[in-house]
Amino acid sequence: MKRRDFFKIVTASGAAAATGGCQQATESILPLVVPNEQIVPGVASWFATVCRECPAGCGVLAKNREGRIVKLEGNPDHPVNAGALCLRGQAALQGLYHPDRVAGPLMREGSGSFAAATWEAAEKLVAERIGALRIAGKGRAIALVSQLENGSLGVLLDRWSAALGARPRVTLEPFAYEAIRAANRSTFNRDAIPYYAFEDAEVVLSFGADFIETWLSNVNYARTFARMHSFRDGRAGTFIHVEPRQSLTASNADEWVRNAPGTEGLLALAILRVMVDEGMVDRRYGEAVAGIDLNRAADTSGVGLETIKHVAKVFAHAQPGLAVGGGVAVTGSNATESQIAINLLNAAAGNVGKTVRFGPDSAYGKVTPHTEVAALARAMGGGEVEVLVLGPGVNPAFTLPSGLKLADAIRKVPFVVSFSNVPDQTSELAQVVLPDTHWLESWGDYAPREGVLGLLQPTMAPIRDSRPMGDILLRIGRAVLGTEAGKGPLPWPTFERYVKAAWEPVVKGALEGALRRGGLFTDVAPVAVTAKIAPVEPSPAKLEGDAGGFTLLAYPSLRFYDGRSAVSSWLQEAPDTMTQAVWDAWVEIPAETAGKLGIAQGDMLAIKSPQGSLELPAYISSTLHPGAIAIPMGHRYAPYQRPRYVGADPRSLNPMAILPAASDATSGALAFMSVKVTIAKLGTRRPLAVLQATHDQDHRELAQHVDLGAAREQALRGKPPHGAPISMYPDTQYPGPRWGMAIDVDACVGCQACVVACQAENNVPVVGKASAAYGRQLHWLRLERWAEGKPERPTHLFLPMLCQHCEVAPCEPVCPVYAAYRTDEGLNGQVYNRCVGTRYCGNNCPYHVRRFNWFQYEFPAPLEVQLNPDVTVRQLGVMEKCTMCVQRIIAGKDRARDEKRGVRDGDIVTACQQTCPTQAITFGNLKDDASAVTKLTHSPRAYHVLEEVGTRPSITYLRKVVREHA
Amino acid sequence: MATETILGVFAHVDTTVRALEELRARGYHDLTVYTPLPVHEIEEVLERDRPVSRVRLFTLIGGLTGIASAFILTIWSSLVWGQVTGGKYLQLVPGGIIGSSLPPFFIIAFELMVLFGGLATVIGLIVLGRLPRFRQSPAFDPRFTNDRFGVAIHCAPERAGAVHELLRAAGAEEITAR
Amino acid sequence: MSDGRTTSPTFADVNRDVLRTLDPPGNLYFAWMCVVALLLAGFFAAWAGQVWWGMGMAGKRVPQMWAMYITTFVFWIGIGHAGTLISAILYLFRARWRTSIYRAAEAMTIFAVMTAGLFPLIHAGRMWFAYFLLPYPNQRDLWPNFRSPLVWDVFAISTYLSISTVFFIVGLVPDIAALRDASRGWRRRIYAMLALGWEGADTQWRHYRRAYGLLASLATPLVLSVHSVVSWDFAMALVPGWHSTLFAPFFVDGAIFSGFAMVLILALPMRHFFRLHAYIQEKHLDAMGKLILVTGLVLTYFYLCEIFTSLYSGEHIEKASLFWKVTANYAWALWTMYFCNCVAPLVLFWRRARTSPVVLYIVSILVLIGMWFERFNIIVPSLGHDFYPYTWGIYYPSPTDTMIVIGSFSFFFLLFLGFIKVMPSLSIVEVKETIPPPVRDRAHGH
Repeated sequence: MKRRDFFKIVTASGAAAATGGCQQATESILPLVVPNEQIVPGVASWFATVCRECPAGCGVLAKNREGRIVKLEGNPDHPVNAGALCLRGQAALQGLYHPDRVAGPLMREGSGSFAAATWEAAEKLVAERIGALRIAGKGRAIALVSQLENGSLGVLLDRWSAALGARPRVTLEPFAYEAIRAANRSTFNRDAIPYYAFEDAEVVLSFGADFIETWLSNVNYARTFARMHSFRDGRAGTFIHVEPRQSLTASNADEWVRNAPGTEGLLALAILRVMVDEGMVDRRYGEAVAGIDLNRAADTSGVGLETIKHVAKVFAHAQPGLAVGGGVAVTGSNATESQIAINLLNAAAGNVGKTVRFGPDSAYGKVTPHTEVAALARAMGGGEVEVLVLGPGVNPAFTLPSGLKLADAIRKVPFVVSFSNVPDQTSELAQVVLPDTHWLESWGDYAPREGVLGLLQPTMAPIRDSRPMGDILLRIGRAVLGTEAGKGPLPWPTFERYVKAAWEPVVKGALEGALRRGGLFTDVAPVAVTAKIAPVEPSPAKLEGDAGGFTLLAYPSLRFYDGRSAVSSWLQEAPDTMTQAVWDAWVEIPAETAGKLGIAQGDMLAIKSPQGSLELPAYISSTLHPGAIAIPMGHRYAPYQRPRYVGADPRSLNPMAILPAASDATSGALAFMSVKVTIAKLGTRRPLAVLQATHDQDHRELAQHVDLGAAREQALRGKPPHGAPISMYPDTQYPGPRWGMAIDVDACVGCQACVVACQAENNVPVVGKASAAYGRQLHWLRLERWAEGKPERPTHLFLPMLCQHCEVAPCEPVCPVYAAYRTDEGLNGQVYNRCVGTRYCGNNCPYHVRRFNWFQYEFPAPLEVQLNPDVTVRQLGVMEKCTMCVQRIIAGKDRARDEKRGVRDGDIVTACQQTCPTQAITFGNLKDDASAVTKLTHSPRAYHVLEEVGTRPSITYLRKVVREHA
Repeated sequence: MATETILGVFAHVDTTVRALEELRARGYHDLTVYTPLPVHEIEEVLERDRPVSRVRLFTLIGGLTGIASAFILTIWSSLVWGQVTGGKYLQLVPGGIIGSSLPPFFIIAFELMVLFGGLATVIGLIVLGRLPRFRQSPAFDPRFTNDRFGVAIHCAPERAGAVHELLRAAGAEEITAR
Repeated sequence: MSDGRTTSPTFADVNRDVLRTLDPPGNLYFAWMCVVALLLAGFFAAWAGQVWWGMGMAGKRVPQMWAMYITTFVFWIGIGHAGTLISAILYLFRARWRTSIYRAAEAMTIFAVMTAGLFPLIHAGRMWFAYFLLPYPNQRDLWPNFRSPLVWDVFAISTYLSISTVFFIVGLVPDIAALRDASRGWRRRIYAMLALGWEGADTQWRHYRRAYGLLASLATPLVLSVHSVVSWDFAMALVPGWHSTLFAPFFVDGAIFSGFAMVLILALPMRHFFRLHAYIQEKHLDAMGKLILVTGLVLTYFYLCEIFTSLYSGEHIEKASLFWKVTANYAWALWTMYFCNCVAPLVLFWRRARTSPVVLYIVSILVLIGMWFERFNIIVPSLGHDFYPYTWGIYYPSPTDTMIVIGSFSFFFLLFLGFIKVMPSLSIVEVKETIPPPVRDRAHGH
């Protein structure tokens, strides 16, 4: 049968599925990224779509095996992430196969509890309620709230609201970066968030912008940051970070400047002042900083004058530099001023147009201003809203400060419709739940920035009885308006049709190509802007609460964003890189305070603000600003995780519970740094599950570094190779290839993406808090954080540690049954069937990367559907460890054989390497002198961990390059 | 021709030895001595013209078998399933045998030597000692496992009288014909 | 035999006294049996739970993939050394004083090794596949890895158990014969079978003596080899604190040390309850006291060597491991060990202590505690602070492995208490050898 006919039929059946509600095999919808006439069992088909775990909108390739998605990978053609994914993207599958996923439509009964309903009944009820309001001429009493949807769905939702005369749709994103928009309005007269070209910068000066964690587009910026920063043929950029707390981003800085919270703008201006005074920049900028007294600035910010001058010098001499601002400390009442100051820095240094590019503007520019959100909240509170429609990913009751009283406001709304497909704090308040399809099951499109139009397509059949929000709203809309398909303001039968109709003019019949590529990507020329130079009067950030208290830094979490990813057990168990804590939330308190109050790690503290109190275990930080305490946002547990993985349910883990309703004076943006809190010991303990015993290497040189100067020297002149280790035994011969890996410690930013990718690829089970705390976690790949230097200003090295596949492996000879043995391709094999579980190998491995199945770990349904069919699920009592993705090695070798050639670089890409945003990991054949890994193995920066033990690892590490002044 | 068995029961070692010396002097060699424990003096008399027990031959053969089988097992199994562990191996390749990881095999060899040797010794004891024995021999008396010594002489009936005489003279506390 | 010290017993006395130990036991005996059986039930329950739910039921973790099971395994293997040492080595040295205790010691050896033999099974993550360690013929040509110390263990321990058992049974045969001739009815029939028709004829004795001597000379190197092999489980590994050539003699000495302590712990009550003062005399206690003292001093020397080598090595990781053991979380265990193994035995320098059953008993118990902790200190702290700081950790025992360790003692005592009521726990024949044979007139005797 012809592809085209097949396509027609399947599309039709897809439509039938949408209308009839029966679950057709929509996963066979063509076209595929790798086109094939039909789905071949055992052969994966790849579907290109767009990750919707956060507004960054990375391109994703979904690996479909026998109709089920088993793995997500970044789309290499996508301009945003170029093949990489962050840990949240990797873990999206846990949302797709979430055990708590809503099984079908739910309606609130008289008793107040939810009961399963039919789609027809649910739609009818909603249509009736909306129809009634419309007849009563109270269309304004209908409110529609969605996450950032700037594509077809957004347009459709707006049309829907318009057609029903509802209030204008509210796009709700807790992190909206409005201050940046406001600042750009005032400085550049442009209401947009530009594209920051880290890759072209020589010096990056960040004022709290945590671009490696969540800021704007973390994969994009981590990737381009690595391009700029990591050591390549003698050159390496410089990164200076200003933040009161040493975040993951800060710990990647060559120089971390700890300032008093809220003084970022002041510092920026002080730096500008120095640049002006020293005549490094155009005198005209003096006007802007006339009012700045350097000494006072130094005192207020707690940053030494020398540092300010030094930073100014470094930044001014950069060709070009880049100054960015963000993070929690720059969301205070003075956020806009701070961003304006940063704009002026960029303008003065001549970065605008070079590294600050307007034109390819970020989608964040489309988020509804917070003032309107607040207005809606007031309206709901005032009873003006009678029907509230909440799109998926919208959870204001959890992700917004409790000071806004949104939960109460929503309770005041008589009829709430939620499209969330996983129960959350807001859908609990709904009367009707109409589960939307997961984004991996949906049609759609999303433009993370101008010129990048990402296309979403269903990659598999919905795993639960859920339907696209678009379809349902269209049907409800028509029911209310009394029109039928093809007529009226909402003629499209399904949202799929709508998307295709919307794309037709753009792709002109070539939709398949766009779907295969994952969208339509064009370069947008930078728009020239001129900076308006006006005096900036830096005001201190206004903080509520006890003036004597600590400034509360509630920061977005690398793992959970605003909390929408927290339902994933993989993410819960992937340690937060800085604290290495899993599963629980914590309050980070300065070591000085801990000493004074006699607080030990794990002691429960009550954190009190005018809004209320929050109880969290303490994490003692030697780096945090003494005037502040920090709590990660977004921690919560899904119902199925209790008591399976964590004990009793803590009342709340989320700092939003104690944040007041504060906003930035100028832009009206939501202010996250808005309150001072007091802490009190509760006398109880809740020890954290911290995976890393110590951050001190104890002189063992596991993670090594070299000075930039020395590195340059070696890169130019080369380094005398040290002799191979001697042995009584003849060297092992490798008839075929010898697989090896090189890991660049200098490039690794510690984002944990590889850890989750490995877990997804290799069916690594989740063990839960207690087991993880007791050294029983099963990660094959772990990301270690090693600190050097003064405890209050440490230099950090991030070391991805996995099986080293030693040539002289200590684990092998001790195994009584040859379960651990050496393959003739240089891998350290582990035969699960043979393993008796003596655990001798685990003791004898100097790296302790071998993992043991202490129990029979289960994959709660339907998570077992995600298991990689190419990887064994291990039984209780056996040892396991990194296999260097042997299943991918075999596949790569087969492909090469089919093409009648040897294996080349790129044929085999391990899961960790594939997802790494900074390309720190390289895999390949060590016997092929042309391969990248061989070249890296001979780099002057190359070393082996615990080389003196003589295990001859197949994994080579490249030393981190530290700047002399750091 | 029918032989008669005369049993002399003794309470003391010296009397028993004396009796044995006398009997040997008179040329009675076909006799069995029952003792509750191995007595040096008695053995001296008896072992004089006997060869050393052949048990040790069993031990030697057993031990050597053990060593041989250990080396055969370890080396052969390494060759048929030549895995590399810890960079050490012993493999059969077209070119012949490569690798060098023999030392551990000596441990196995030692253990099997002891095991086989030990078991062979016991087999030797059972075979040579005519064990197990299910019918009690006519001359045996339960007291011989307690505190009495017995000397049983198998002789032609016509010489029975002389033996009687001899045993009484030696100091047997009881003499019976069985 | 209350006046046993003054006049030495006759052969008949020996039979009488020894056979008396097999009389129907009293309530105390049954009370003990009940306690032991109860603990044993707990032991099997815990084991079943562990097999069902997984090794996680025991307190093991990364980095302590081994912990109390292997500790207790090595402990019991060590106990198992005294028996064959006494019966083989001391036999070859013609140490007369061994005779009164060697039977009990041999029984102890066999039961201790049997107990130890349980632990590799208990310890294996998939014990139902433990047979993979045996070189059994199979069509897939899968064989054990003879380079692995664990396979050496399999061979060493199974050999040791078989040879000790054989040795033990050979020694028993003449006594069973005596038992047969002293008992009636069904007992007699059973003993008759077990005695293999032994009659003590000279034709039997001559082969018996020879065979016994040969077995002894085979068992002697075996005794020394077994614990060396066990010690290589550790010495062959890289772990700092394990990787030492010192281990073989160190372990063997420790084994003898603890073995004799256990012999005393068993022999002293037997002496008391069975009133065997005539056979287990002060000179015997004294000799064993001396042996414990000597082996204890040698052990102290090895401890010093261990510390010295790791300090002298200049190897940072070795030293770090040592300092951590001495000072950190497990220091209490280390110092307990030093006290029990190095200090406590010193009281045996005084003869009065060596001949006082009470003192000996207390010292022996301390020695056993000390030797259990020695193995614990080798395994758990060394692993807890080895090469890789990321995974350093502290092991906490769980109810399961605690129950199993305690239960192993009940397993041992159940076997032993059973044994002393069905078999002569003194060797009738050899005890007779030690007392002057009945002679009528001295003039004639040589």
